[in-house]
Amino acid sequence: MGHRLVDLALLIQTIANSIVAGSIYAVIAVGLAMAFGVMKMANFAHGEFFMAGAYVVYVFYALLGWPFPIAVLMAVPIVGAMGIITERLIFRPTRSNVLAGFMATAGLAFILQVLVGQAWGVGLMRSVPTPYMGAADILGAKIGWQRVLVVPVAIVMLSCLWYFLFKVKYGKALRACAQDPDTARLQGIGINKMTMLAMGISGASAGLAGALMAPIHPVTPYMGHGVILTAFIVVVMGGMESIAGAVLAAVLLGFIHTFVTTLSDAVTAQMVGVACMAIILIVRPEGLLGRVKA
Amino acid sequence: MLKLDNMVAHYGTVAAVKGITIEIEENEIVTLIGSNGAGKTTTLRAISGLHHPTSGRIDFEGEQIDQLMPEEINARGIAMVPEGRRVFPQMTVLENLEMGAYLRKDTAKMKADLDEIYEHFPILLERRKQLAGTMSGGQQQMVAMARALMSGPKLLLLDEPSLGLSPIMTQEIAKIIKELHAKGRTIMLVEQNARMALRLAKHAYVMEIGKVAFSGLAEDLRHDTKIQETYLGA
Repeated sequence: MGHRLVDLALLIQTIANSIVAGSIYAVIAVGLAMAFGVMKMANFAHGEFFMAGAYVVYVFYALLGWPFPIAVLMAVPIVGAMGIITERLIFRPTRSNVLAGFMATAGLAFILQVLVGQAWGVGLMRSVPTPYMGAADILGAKIGWQRVLVVPVAIVMLSCLWYFLFKVKYGKALRACAQDPDTARLQGIGINKMTMLAMGISGASAGLAGALMAPIHPVTPYMGHGVILTAFIVVVMGGMESIAGAVLAAVLLGFIHTFVTTLSDAVTAQMVGVACMAIILIVRPEGLLGRVKA
Repeated sequence: MLKLDNMVAHYGTVAAVKGITIEIEENEIVTLIGSNGAGKTTTLRAISGLHHPTSGRIDFEGEQIDQLMPEEINARGIAMVPEGRRVFPQMTVLENLEMGAYLRKDTAKMKADLDEIYEHFPILLERRKQLAGTMSGGQQQMVAMARALMSGPKLLLLDEPSLGLSPIMTQEIAKIIKELHAKGRTIMLVEQNARMALRLAKHAYVMEIGKVAFSGLAEDLRHDTKIQETYLGA
C-alpha cells in the first residue's frame, strides 16, 4: 500500500514537472516561431534572450533587491527592446541573404555571452535566491511554488498573444505578414514595422521565460545553449511558423523530456526528444500543425 | 493618372521589361496583353513597388512613385490583385478584407464600402468566416479583388484574374470588372485571355518580349488580323 502511494506521488510529481517544463518551452518557442514566421530567418541568439531575461532578474532582484515580480516584469521591456534592436541592426540589413542572417545571429549569441560574462563573471553560476519558498502538496507530490508560478504566467502570456494575433488589427497584420509578406505589403502593411513588432514580442517572451526560470535554473552566460536546442526542436515539431503548433509541441516535449529524465537521465531525454523530432519530420515534414506551402 | 515612361526592369542581368511607355486615364480600363514571359507581370510589380525599375520612370497623379515601397504606393491609392490571387490562406474571408483596409481610418466610409463589396460579391458575405485558403480558385479571386477594393483605391491593378478559372467563373469575374468600371473605377488589367481583355478594355497594349509591340483602342486591335492570328486564335 505504502509503496503504491509513493509511485502515485512520483507519477503526479512527474506530470506536474512536465506541465511546468512544457509551459516554459511554449513561452520560449512561440517567440522563435513568430520571428521565423514573419522574417523567414532563424534567430540563433534566441537562447541568449532567455539568458538576458534571467540576468535582468539577477541584477534587479538578487543584486539590487527589487521585488521579484517587478524584476520579472522588467525583463519584458528590456529583452523586448533587445529584440527590436536586433531586428534593426541585424535582420533588416541581412534580410535578402539567409546565410548572412544566420551568421550574424549566431555571432550575436556569442557576443551576448561574452558581454554578460565580462560584466558579471563566468565560472560559478549567479545565485538568485528563491523568492517563493515552500511547495504545493498534491496527493503527496510536492511541487515548489516557484515552479507552480510558471504555469499561470505562461497561460496568461499565451492568452494575451492569442488575443493580440486574432483580435487586434496589428496582430492580424502580423499573421498576414507571416503568411505572405509581399501580399501584406500590397495591403499597405509596413514590413519593417511588422518585423520590429515580431522581434519585440519574440525577445519579450524569451526574456519573460528566462526571468521566471532564474531562481530555478542555473544562471550562467551559457544557459541559452540548452534552451535554443529545445526551442528549435519544439518549433520544428510544431511546424516552423505555427504558433499553435509550437504550444502543442512544447507541451508534448515537456512530457517527453520530464518522463525520460525521471525514468532514465537528462542526456537520454535530449536524445529521445531529437528522435521524436526526426520521426515527426519523416512522417509529417510540415510539422504537427504546419501547413504545406502552395 | 498613371504614366510609365520608357521603363526598364531587370531580374538579375536579364531585362524582363525593355523600355515601355504606357498611359492610363481616369475611369478607363486599360489592358496589357501578351504571351507568357512578355513582361506583363513585371510591369505590374514595378507599378505596385514590389520590383524597382532599372531606368525610366513611373508617375502617378503627377508624382514619381518608382522608388517608393509597396506599402507607400498602396497608401497613395494603387491596389493590386496579384497573380495567383495570393489570399492570406489561414485568415478568414473577413480578416482578408480587413487587411485590405489596413491603412484606412474612415470607419464609417469603410463600412459602406464593405456593404458595396458584398453587393458585388454576395458569396463573400455568406462565407465571411471561412478560411480563405479553403475556398475554390474563383472564390479566392473574388476575395483578392474585394480585398484590393477595401483600400478604396483610385487605381486597381489586376494580374491575370482569369488564370486557372473555369469559363463560367471567368465570365463572372469579367462581369464584376465591368460593374466596377461602370461605377467609375480605373482599372489596369493584365491578361493572357486576350479575348476577354480586349472586350473589357478601352485601350490596349500588346507586349512581346519586354516591349510594347502594338497599342491602340481595344476595339481596333480586336479586328486587327495580326492580333487575331497571334492572340485570339482566329
